[in-house]
Amino acid sequence: MLQVEDLHAGYGASEVLTGTTLTVKQGTLVALIGANGAGKTTTMRAISGGLKPSRGRVLLDGQEVQGLDASRIARLGLAHSPEGRKVFGPLSVEDNLLLGAYSRLPRFLGYHAQAKPDLDRVYDLFPRLRDRARQSAGTLSGGEQQMLAIGRALMARPKVMLLDEPSMGLAPVIVQEVFRTIRRLKEEGITLLLVEQFAKSALEVADYAYVMERGRIAVEGTPAELGRNERVLAAYLG
Amino acid sequence: MKRILLLRGAELIVFAFLATIPLLVVNPYALGLLTLLAIYGILLIGLDVTVGYLGQVNLAHVAFLGLGAYAAGLVVTRLGLGMVPALLAATVVGLVLGGLLALPALRLEGPQFALATLSFAALSTTALNELEGLTGGAQGLSLSRPTLFGHTLTPPLFYWLCMVLLAVVWMLMRNLLASQWGRAFEALRDSPIATDAMGVGTYAHKVAAFALGSALGGLAGGLYAFNFQYLQPQSFTYDLMIILLLGVVLGGRKSLWGAFVGATVIVLLPNLLSSRHLFQIFSGLGFAGALAAGVRGLVKKTTRPFQALAPVVAMGLLVVGGLLVENTEDWRKAIFALMLFSVVVGLPEGIMGFLALFLAKLFRVPHAPLPEPADLDTMLPVRPADGSALLVLDDLKRHFGGVKAVDGLSMTVRAGTIHGLIGPNGSGKSTVVNVISGLYTPTAGTLQLRGVTLPSGSLYRVAQAGVARTFQNLQLFGELTALENVLVALKGVYRNPLPMVLLGLARREERTAQAEALALLELIGLRDQALVKAKDLTYGAQRFLEIARALARKPDLLILDEPAAGLAHPDVLQQIEFIQRIHQRGITIILIEHHMDVVSELCDTVTVLDGGRIIAEGTPDEVKRHPKVVEAYLGQPPQPELPGGTEPLPA
Repeated sequence: MLQVEDLHAGYGASEVLTGTTLTVKQGTLVALIGANGAGKTTTMRAISGGLKPSRGRVLLDGQEVQGLDASRIARLGLAHSPEGRKVFGPLSVEDNLLLGAYSRLPRFLGYHAQAKPDLDRVYDLFPRLRDRARQSAGTLSGGEQQMLAIGRALMARPKVMLLDEPSMGLAPVIVQEVFRTIRRLKEEGITLLLVEQFAKSALEVADYAYVMERGRIAVEGTPAELGRNERVLAAYLG
Repeated sequence: MKRILLLRGAELIVFAFLATIPLLVVNPYALGLLTLLAIYGILLIGLDVTVGYLGQVNLAHVAFLGLGAYAAGLVVTRLGLGMVPALLAATVVGLVLGGLLALPALRLEGPQFALATLSFAALSTTALNELEGLTGGAQGLSLSRPTLFGHTLTPPLFYWLCMVLLAVVWMLMRNLLASQWGRAFEALRDSPIATDAMGVGTYAHKVAAFALGSALGGLAGGLYAFNFQYLQPQSFTYDLMIILLLGVVLGGRKSLWGAFVGATVIVLLPNLLSSRHLFQIFSGLGFAGALAAGVRGLVKKTTRPFQALAPVVAMGLLVVGGLLVENTEDWRKAIFALMLFSVVVGLPEGIMGFLALFLAKLFRVPHAPLPEPADLDTMLPVRPADGSALLVLDDLKRHFGGVKAVDGLSMTVRAGTIHGLIGPNGSGKSTVVNVISGLYTPTAGTLQLRGVTLPSGSLYRVAQAGVARTFQNLQLFGELTALENVLVALKGVYRNPLPMVLLGLARREERTAQAEALALLELIGLRDQALVKAKDLTYGAQRFLEIARALARKPDLLILDEPAAGLAHPDVLQQIEFIQRIHQRGITIILIEHHMDVVSELCDTVTVLDGGRIIAEGTPDEVKRHPKVVEAYLGQPPQPELPGGTEPLPA
């Protein structure tokens, strides 16, 4: 579904990605782990168009998308839930969700009617968002904002969803809830690429995983394979 | 040394060359232009302080030029005094009125600040126009150039006076900007909150900078008056202001050389426009330059297509216009607009910013060698960890409208301990930290540090009282190097008064400061990255640097707000080690953290908050078993810890 080949990208003169290659098959959850500065977030930004790759290819459902505008790539079916959540603080929870579906929906008439099934789906997944639908997103707690960011990405009915550090800055009890949510997304058949600092938890939900070091993939394999790899164990799984 | 010679050598050569011109050239017109160059040089250096260093759009600078000019003119015509008192009066008028404008205006940001300065400019032009009894109104004010210490100033002598003043201003500003003051100006543009929290008074520094820039505007005004010997309020309006901004942006912000280059362009522009033929040549050159730069940028993929194309189109318009239009003077404003547009798009760093990059590549001048790190035991003596009450919070409350973020919190932090503060998201931890560090005022309750009530509602005064903090969402000074980030916060080294700094007599102090900052960087393993800009450090290194910067305050109490957030496993272990090293120096730490094993590893006491109230307090092991904590925070009964595990086990 998502294929990345020999991707190079960076900021100004410094090249962060030096030939990243990875594949996410339909309906699977792939985890991307590694140290700070290895290039995980940069990989996600280069895939979703927030950063223009200098070399390499990104294929979304067989179509080349590298170098396109972020909004174009989003319309082609890729949703990115960014690091730090980035919800629209002053807007209500429901407006945040509706904006997630912006590219799919008619601009004027029938907006709400068409969005209804998707809204219901997100609210069923996160009942707490239904309770707070009219509240402005900035007043939600960190955990609720993370749910909102995931819900907003879901509203676009994406072919592939990128999830960057969903557990960052959250209390342990909320982190557990986030991982429960990720499992449910997986059960619903959503194709996911997950970046996570909690490598152990990420490997428990993933079907396949890549370990990044200095801008490229150092090791890859199923979680069971990585769990047997001495080096990965020592460096990332503690 | 080589670097110093190169930089200072270029300055010396230019000034020596400029000084000999009157001996070589007798053309009075050319001499007049050069005099104007010196005056505009001073004016733009002043403008660069606000536009470049403070990063604010200042539209009032032209008013200070006018006010300075009239002040000097009136001192001469009404009081009959000489050159020196006149120039002094012009400078003081700029300084005082600049300070008065800055006091309210710098409470504003961005567009509001620009509008406030714009209204000041409108007000001052109107005043000069309407106070006819004093200024002569629209009739203008004629004056003759007064004597300097009894000497009549011929044009070459007056030119020399302007050049000497430019050189003096240049030298003083260079010393100031290279000092702690200049760093503070840059820091507060990147993060005003962090600047206050590091004990540098943001507002006071901004007002001082603005007043200083305006004083230079006033001084330039005084020289302007004696250069033209005839003043009219209409000379000091928006037209000129736009040209001055063009000069600063085109020359290159945050650079003395940039101001000089900008002044040259401004002085030459009218002459360029007076001859159609000359204009065609220069617009052609500009077009060729834009085209070459655009093609090069596109081939090397360093610029985006828009950035490469837009200046070419704008310069192309100038060339076509130059061929079609009869009188280029009439199209002055349109020409400025197109030039400004090309520069903003094509050379965002200005001519000098571009050249500086180019020259740096050409010469590869190494940074001046850094001193050896200072001895940590001398600069940051180990404090006794006697367990006495250091920080006492009593029934602290902070409400936001109806939301009780902190609702009656009493807590004691003992000297020399690491005190953990944990709780679910939205439980009030961050609010507590923001109240202690002075970002918020408490709704009720008291805070005492060593028995003395902490100042409330001022980050700056709390920082001065001995509390330092880091920020959950990093607040580094991105454009400054790691070393400079620490230097901005460094306490207890910078003692020399401003005049010494201006005269460049504070170098020893600077070396001492560098040595101390390096010692702190060594403590957190960043010594070899001291000269890397903070924004170019990896995320982990940025987290570490925040701690070193807070430590530079030599605080009694250090508040770490989620120091391990977003860190991967190896970096978390590093961070734990760094915090232990700091703890060994006897510094008391309040630690907010979600990684429970970091909390268990480090903390002596842990306070657990929920809904703005304490639900448990005790040693890490005690609170981990506490049923309320398990329910509200941990989410499951504690299991035997695996050594080194950083994970909350998923349910």
